[in-house]
Amino acid sequence: MEVEKVGEAKKEVGSGMEVENAASSAGAPRPQFKALKPHEMSDRKIEFRKVSVPQHRFAPLKRCWMEIYTPIYEQMKIDIRMNLKTKKVELKNRADTPDISNLQKSADFVHAFMLGFDVADAIALLRLDDLYVDTFEIKDVKTLRGEHLSRAIGRLSGKGGKTKFAIENSTRTRIVIADSKIHILGSFLNIKIARDSLCSLILGSPAGKVYSKLRTVGARLAEKF
Amino acid sequence: MAAAVEMEKEEESPMKKGEEALERLRSADPPLYLTQSSEFARDARAASCFLFSSLVPFCTKLPVDRLLVEGFDAEQIWYQIDLLSRPLLSTVRREFKRLEEEHHSRAGLSTIDADGDGEEMVVEKDEISVDDEGDEEDGDESEEKGSEDEEDGEEDDEDDGEADEEEEEEEEAGEAKGNVVEDKFLKMQDLENYLENAEAKEYGHPLEDFDSDGDEDAELGANARYEDFFGGNKKKQQKKCGTVGKRKRSSTELDAVDHFENTDEDVEKNDSEQKLLSTHEKELQKMRSKIEEMEKANLDPKSWTMQGEVTAAKRPKNSALEVDLDFEHNVRPAPVITEEVTASLEDIIKKRIIEGHFDDVERAPILPSKPPKETKEMDENKSKKGLAEIYEEEYAQKTGLAPALLSASDKLKTEATMLFKKISLKLDALSHFHFAPKPVIEDMSIQVNVPALAMEEVAPLAVSDAAMLAPEEIFHGKGNIKEEAELTKEERKRRRANQKRRFRRLKAETFKRAVQKTGQSAVPGATNGN
Repeated sequence: MEVEKVGEAKKEVGSGMEVENAASSAGAPRPQFKALKPHEMSDRKIEFRKVSVPQHRFAPLKRCWMEIYTPIYEQMKIDIRMNLKTKKVELKNRADTPDISNLQKSADFVHAFMLGFDVADAIALLRLDDLYVDTFEIKDVKTLRGEHLSRAIGRLSGKGGKTKFAIENSTRTRIVIADSKIHILGSFLNIKIARDSLCSLILGSPAGKVYSKLRTVGARLAEKF
Repeated sequence: MAAAVEMEKEEESPMKKGEEALERLRSADPPLYLTQSSEFARDARAASCFLFSSLVPFCTKLPVDRLLVEGFDAEQIWYQIDLLSRPLLSTVRREFKRLEEEHHSRAGLSTIDADGDGEEMVVEKDEISVDDEGDEEDGDESEEKGSEDEEDGEEDDEDDGEADEEEEEEEEAGEAKGNVVEDKFLKMQDLENYLENAEAKEYGHPLEDFDSDGDEDAELGANARYEDFFGGNKKKQQKKCGTVGKRKRSSTELDAVDHFENTDEDVEKNDSEQKLLSTHEKELQKMRSKIEEMEKANLDPKSWTMQGEVTAAKRPKNSALEVDLDFEHNVRPAPVITEEVTASLEDIIKKRIIEGHFDDVERAPILPSKPPKETKEMDENKSKKGLAEIYEEEYAQKTGLAPALLSASDKLKTEATMLFKKISLKLDALSHFHFAPKPVIEDMSIQVNVPALAMEEVAPLAVSDAAMLAPEEIFHGKGNIKEEAELTKEERKRRRANQKRRFRRLKAETFKRAVQKTGQSAVPGATNGN
């Protein structure tokens, strides 16, 4: 509350100062104010984010709870708790949250975990700004039914997941194939490349062809950096 | 007396011996020259001596007056002969030239016989030069003859030499009768005929035989009148022409004459005046005859070779075989394979095989324009690092917090530089005179705990434990270790006291734990202490 008062006072002073400035120029020196806290910037509103937990991610969540909790609470300075009744993870802003976007980032991080990504991969969302999660379905690309669908999924993963890993390694993304849905985590360009490869696989091209394309693209990507 | 007689005999016997030797050589068969018979050699020497001495009077300055052959080798004998023959040569040449001139001026027979022996020698030459090269010892004589041969300028071929000698003989002997000179190649009559024909062609009127024409000339000269030279009675001249004896006319001349005779009397007159035409007129006539010939040739139908396109029907049978036709050969003629060709080819092949120089088409090497790209291999395994870690590493490398990863090429580069340094060090050590110690390479390596001195053990390596650690390195003990026997009484007591203390403590702890578990002191009669 003291802080609020101080904030109000500052605000008033600031506005007053502006008027004063307009009146007389070479008077008292301009006062220096500290930057506004994000909490104040949002008018001291507390924001919430609620991420629902699917059934199959309960056990992994329990297992990795501490790994999720620690970076969010300590580094992001966001309050996080699991609501077992509603089966949701709730995130809340704090007064000393350093950045407004932290809350959203944390929410995205938790959401990514819920989609199926590893904590180690999803943590990148917390660290980097420009990582996104893209989701699309197989039926968006091509209508496949029954056996064809299964085969398509098999083609996407490859034997022991090697095709998927190959795409992941060459494009620096992470892919989660959940039945008919495909989630891709990574930067915008990389997502695009991975998506193109996956779509070509869905449409029926053999893995070798996709590899060759990936190789050239990967080389180009590596050269860039 | 006897000695004097002997001396006399000796004086003339050399001469006789020499002659006899010559005779013997002459009569000897050519193959005999090739054999190495000592008596033949003796004969040869004797003959050379004889000839030498016979030539001596004709030579003015001479160091030796007779040929020394005993104990001298061919070179020396030859040199003596050479000494003699050189001045002789010049005199003979002079004589020869003189005689030649005489012969030309007289055009009669002249005899050249500078030396009485010259002819003999010449004759000898014929026989001896047959086996010129055969006998080495006879080489003296042949060389002697050779000096005369040089006059002719030929020495090599025996036959040629013989023929030349014959010719020389001819010239020397003079212009003999035809039968002396003639052989199957040279016939005087043919020569005369040819000469007459040529002269007839040249001068435009037949050559007149001197003998037969001599009278007529005289006749003509006496009765020469204006009409004879310029016009006049043609008939008279014609008759005169008819009475002329040998008259060889060239065919063209005859034709021309006939032509003229056929047409006009004037022509006849001209014909009769042939002899009296001026050179210019003669030339004109020649020209005219030539022109006539050419015109005739032009008017006649051409031979088939000169006609344009000639088919087989238009030319006589098999006439194309005789003519040298000029074809445009688009194809190189097939090479004639002879043994030499194959041998040469095989030589080339062998040489090339030895050199290893083959004509295989070699692939052009691809020049590396850029350094080879380092392509990361596609990893088909789940990446061990999380996405965050990957980005973290990348960021660290970019900012420079973390050292850049050693890529494969870098590893290779470092390895290559290390190898090169080693080699260069060794080479420097070899080439430099001063000693340079090995550079210290700071290298972390694990040192096995091995004793400093590895002594050679009698036992085999598998059995011995020389490379193993020493006992003190293995033993982790503290302080002064003493055996049971070494301990003093106090120490023994101390040890026992420590043991007891330890035992008691252990027991107390277990008891405490048990108490804690059950919650009550369940063990009755637990002795405390002692």
